[in-house]
Amino acid sequence: MREFKPLPAQPAPIDEVGVIGWLKNNLFSTPLNSLVSILIIAFLASVLPALIDWLFISANWVGTSEAACKAEGAGDGACWVFVSAWMQQFIYGSYPDGELWRINTSLIALGAVIAAPYLLPNELRNSVGVPLFLVFPFIGAAFLDGRLFGLEYVSTDYWGGFSLNIFLAAASIIIAFPLSFLWALGRRSEMPFIKSVCIVLIEFFRGVPVLALFFMGSVMLPLFFPEGTNVDKLLRVWIVLILFMSGYMAEVFRGGFQAIPQGQYEAADSLGLSYWQKTLLIIFPQVIKISMPNILATFIMLFKNTTFLLIIGIFEILSTTQTALTNSNWLGGHAAEGYIFVALVFWCCCFGMSMISSNIEKKLDTSHRN
Amino acid sequence: MKLSSIIAAGLAVGLSFSATAGTLEDVKKRGTLSCGVSTGLAGFSQKDEKGAWSGLDVDVCRAVAAAVLGDADKVQYKPLTAKERFTALQSGEIDVLSRNTTWTHTRDTSLGLNFAGVNYYDGQGFMVSKKLGVKSALELDGASACIQAGTTTELNMADYFRANGMKYTAVTFDTSDQTRQGFESGRCDVLTSDQSQLYAIRIGLKDPSSAVVLPEVISKEPLGPVVRQGDDAWFNIVKWSMAALVEAEFLGVTSANADKMKAEGKPGQKRLLGSEGDAGEKLGLSADWAYNIVKQVGNYGESFERNVGQDSPLKIARGLNAQWNQGGILYSPPVR
Repeated sequence: MREFKPLPAQPAPIDEVGVIGWLKNNLFSTPLNSLVSILIIAFLASVLPALIDWLFISANWVGTSEAACKAEGAGDGACWVFVSAWMQQFIYGSYPDGELWRINTSLIALGAVIAAPYLLPNELRNSVGVPLFLVFPFIGAAFLDGRLFGLEYVSTDYWGGFSLNIFLAAASIIIAFPLSFLWALGRRSEMPFIKSVCIVLIEFFRGVPVLALFFMGSVMLPLFFPEGTNVDKLLRVWIVLILFMSGYMAEVFRGGFQAIPQGQYEAADSLGLSYWQKTLLIIFPQVIKISMPNILATFIMLFKNTTFLLIIGIFEILSTTQTALTNSNWLGGHAAEGYIFVALVFWCCCFGMSMISSNIEKKLDTSHRN
Repeated sequence: MKLSSIIAAGLAVGLSFSATAGTLEDVKKRGTLSCGVSTGLAGFSQKDEKGAWSGLDVDVCRAVAAAVLGDADKVQYKPLTAKERFTALQSGEIDVLSRNTTWTHTRDTSLGLNFAGVNYYDGQGFMVSKKLGVKSALELDGASACIQAGTTTELNMADYFRANGMKYTAVTFDTSDQTRQGFESGRCDVLTSDQSQLYAIRIGLKDPSSAVVLPEVISKEPLGPVVRQGDDAWFNIVKWSMAALVEAEFLGVTSANADKMKAEGKPGQKRLLGSEGDAGEKLGLSADWAYNIVKQVGNYGESFERNVGQDSPLKIARGLNAQWNQGGILYSPPVR
């Protein structure tokens, strides 16, 4: 019997593999696609060289003052000296030089508090991780302020820069988390008074633009207090952010509550669990799991909203940039460099957060689709 | 109001009550002057890379702190936006507002505030490209003008051109930066804004020497420090701190020669610097109040040249802001 011998495999047709194949399949598969591709390539070819030249090749990187960008022989591209000279302001605000370690420590502590649930053994997670998380904003604020710890007092007027954006966003969401959960519970409550209070709160803070809330906090609120009574501006803003965030998160949680099958409530009831046992042990963990993508999306929104603080004169990173642009030693029009830097910083952080969020989603995914 | 009561309850922790005795006592007790400044205006109140404040408006804060506390550095700067500034003063968050605020009738009479003098006489002006060869705003008939939208600048411009029977085309922009770019790219013949702004915009041009600021000023914008109404002792202190800056320049006292003048100056100089008379005591301050101002901040002329004048990148001419005997309108009442 003759042995069956297959012919050797032919190489794939040249226009189906490699660069040509990829181009054909992805960019020029139909006449319309080809046209769009050509237009896009033409656009990029006309814009990119100038952009790259401005951004990198003729940009000025070294120096400490505007003179470095204006000097004879300096490139006429971007003046990154502007960003590097103002870097400390952009990141730390006017916080005193000698005390910067406090900001760095707080940032590391924030990272540690966020990482704690991953690192701690299961049995410590709820008893240590959660309380740590909830007290962090207060301890962190007191630490930066300094008086409670016997450190040098640094008034909130000196706080600023990107670290302020991070702290404000983190401190707001941490407080807003339990608060909004209570609001969402209240909204589902059968007690008419609690229910109506919660509905009013949620709808008010969700329905009013955050800019209007900031103005209320910074301009109107002080007028309601007796003369001579001052509430720190940053504290007012913090509270506004918490309430605004709670309004949104409460609705996210409500969506989570509605997704829990009625059977879960009934099963918990039939086991004889009390209201709080049922809510915290049976319902809450499932709500968190369901709502996680929305919670993180809301958080990213809040994080970006902290730049609105520039309209009420708090020196977060964006308003620091604008202030730097008005300094009479830097009047040479560096707006583009400044805003590109801010955009880049925010993009990196938000992209990082969405990576973390998809990671958490995978971790929490216990669905039964197989 | 529901909102306010809810928030007020939540705020109970963060409240700080200050005594309502009088601003002077409060400031002395606190040890720092709380001064409202702009969040950033070239030459007037600006932050540097180290976070230190400087500027013509900032120097008023420093002068008051020097007079009251003897140390010009004991100032807590509160950066405020235009919308917040009066509330911050009314609510007692700040002791003095020194934030390029125009002294107008409405503000002075209806907001419960007092203007304690003028530290810069501003006014709307015009900037044109040098190659146009225009020497006066009256030659601008038919010009197109770059204007920042939504400001009184627009209204002043319309008034001025109508009053002189001239026509113009407005090209409006949102921010001062865009306005500058519009002017630079040749979309208009003339750029109009407050004069102090024009100089800042001019430095931002690729070639600042290609543009000139015309001499005409078409609106009155006296800028000055503001205090709460009803505390006359404090009002006097701020008013006379301002006056001391101007008077020191008039009398020829500078930060360099203040010590010498205090010991062996003319009677007027000695009265100002506190080695004669009781000017400080009458204000409730120490005898060397004005000496501290001049020594630590300098006189008005020094402050002007350092922040907005020839020693600064802005290079604004003294113009109206020169002493009355030098062709300007700065005139301080005598210290005696």
